[in-house]
Amino acid sequence: MKNFSNLKGVNEKILKVKQLLVELEAEAKQFPALEKNSKRALASIKMLELNISDILAFDLADS
Amino acid sequence: MNHNEYWNPVLETMPREKLKILQFKKFKRILNWAYSHSKFHRALYDTAGLTPDDICSFDDIKKIPKVEKSMMRGIQNKDPFPYGDALCVPLEEVSIFRQTSGTTGQPVYQPDTWQDWEWWSECWSFILWAQGYRTKDRVFIPFGYNIFVAFWAGHYAAEKLGCEVVPGGVLDTQARILKIKELNATAMMATPTYILRMADVANSMGIDPSLLSINKITCAGEPGAGIPSTKKRMEDAWGAKVYDHSGATEIGAWSYECSNQPHGMHVNEAMFLVEIEDIHTGEIIEEPGRKGKMIITALDRMAQPCIRFDSKDVIEWDSESCSCGRSFRLIKGGVIGRSDDITKVKGVLLSPGAIEEVVRSIDGLGDEFEIIVDKQGDVDRIKLKVELLPEVTRLSIESRLKDQLRLKTNLGYQIEFYDYGSLPRYEVKAKRFKDLRKKNF
Repeated sequence: MKNFSNLKGVNEKILKVKQLLVELEAEAKQFPALEKNSKRALASIKMLELNISDILAFDLADS
Repeated sequence: MNHNEYWNPVLETMPREKLKILQFKKFKRILNWAYSHSKFHRALYDTAGLTPDDICSFDDIKKIPKVEKSMMRGIQNKDPFPYGDALCVPLEEVSIFRQTSGTTGQPVYQPDTWQDWEWWSECWSFILWAQGYRTKDRVFIPFGYNIFVAFWAGHYAAEKLGCEVVPGGVLDTQARILKIKELNATAMMATPTYILRMADVANSMGIDPSLLSINKITCAGEPGAGIPSTKKRMEDAWGAKVYDHSGATEIGAWSYECSNQPHGMHVNEAMFLVEIEDIHTGEIIEEPGRKGKMIITALDRMAQPCIRFDSKDVIEWDSESCSCGRSFRLIKGGVIGRSDDITKVKGVLLSPGAIEEVVRSIDGLGDEFEIIVDKQGDVDRIKLKVELLPEVTRLSIESRLKDQLRLKTNLGYQIEFYDYGSLPRYEVKAKRFKDLRKKNF
């Protein structure tokens, strides 16, 4: 398996961005442009989770 | 091979034992999701006396009932309209409708959310990156941009990779060729049938397609790019590398040939779980070299999950690994055919792909052909219609064609020769095989 340095650090950043977007979406009920763009960005963040976060969540990263 | 050869260098080179753990954990996740959000799936598993908690090991996965296309047809057009109760998200979350092409019957509807659509293009990103698509590429996509998924996700994946995409939608074939020439397009995606058709039309326009700037072509929708003689015809005609890919509306983009062209396709085992089932016994085939039908799970598709879907595609594991360094397993020769199409003639198993391999390997025959199986009295008969290229005589071809067919398929044929251009031409998926013994013909 190819090593990717700092997978854990990258994942922490992904989760932070996700959290921020969840908060933005929640705060935007009267602001469609903010709500829909945040939600759409979350769909892209999910791809980062599939590519990176799952590896850590399932404990598959090289130690 | 360096990291830049992989879309995801960690997942694509993950040791197999870790990949298996990844697949199992993701399988459990999608199973739990479907069980708790889809009445259809819950009823299916309850009837089998199973809950997700009963799946404790990789071997337990085969206990989960398979889903057939006919079952999906049975639930649609009901609430929530039009998808029925396999839908796992509120209808308001569905952002796009697609349907299957209906090649094998009533089309199946497929809902996707924004996230599912991102997932579709993510799967395609693995494919295009492995085939060498990069920012320098200008990708021409000559398909109808309609209700069928076809190359839609390929379009968005190419955009994601940073390629420049030219949507060749409603243009006719001649206009598409002129646009490729005008823009110096470097890559293209289409069915093998249409790639050959476009070459034919280009030649009739006095344009040699091999002198155009296309250097790579991604094929899907038919097995042709995995059939050596058809692949060679396409590569010779366009002077380009031709790569195979397989996907389906209700599954996703699950496999791809990498730029090493290993005579097979990698299964994207980070996103899909592929099982091969013996067509007769239902046993799961683990070892290479035995053909069976594919049972597939899309591990991350959420709106309408695809869990142990009986695809009817016939495949076999390859005993060789690929020198590209990916740990994703190879299926030998790509998708060999469909279990629906593999039929017994005079007691011998016949695969239309084997006939295609012979016809396309013989210089002097055109690209088009037609296979008709019927009965003469009580005896099966196979009629093969082929076209002779201009200035080629039947005499120079017939015995070689018969010999090769006998050698490769163990069957005799009634061969009919036609002038070049006589047989039907197709622009998407071809229908070259007809079994008139079946009632629906």
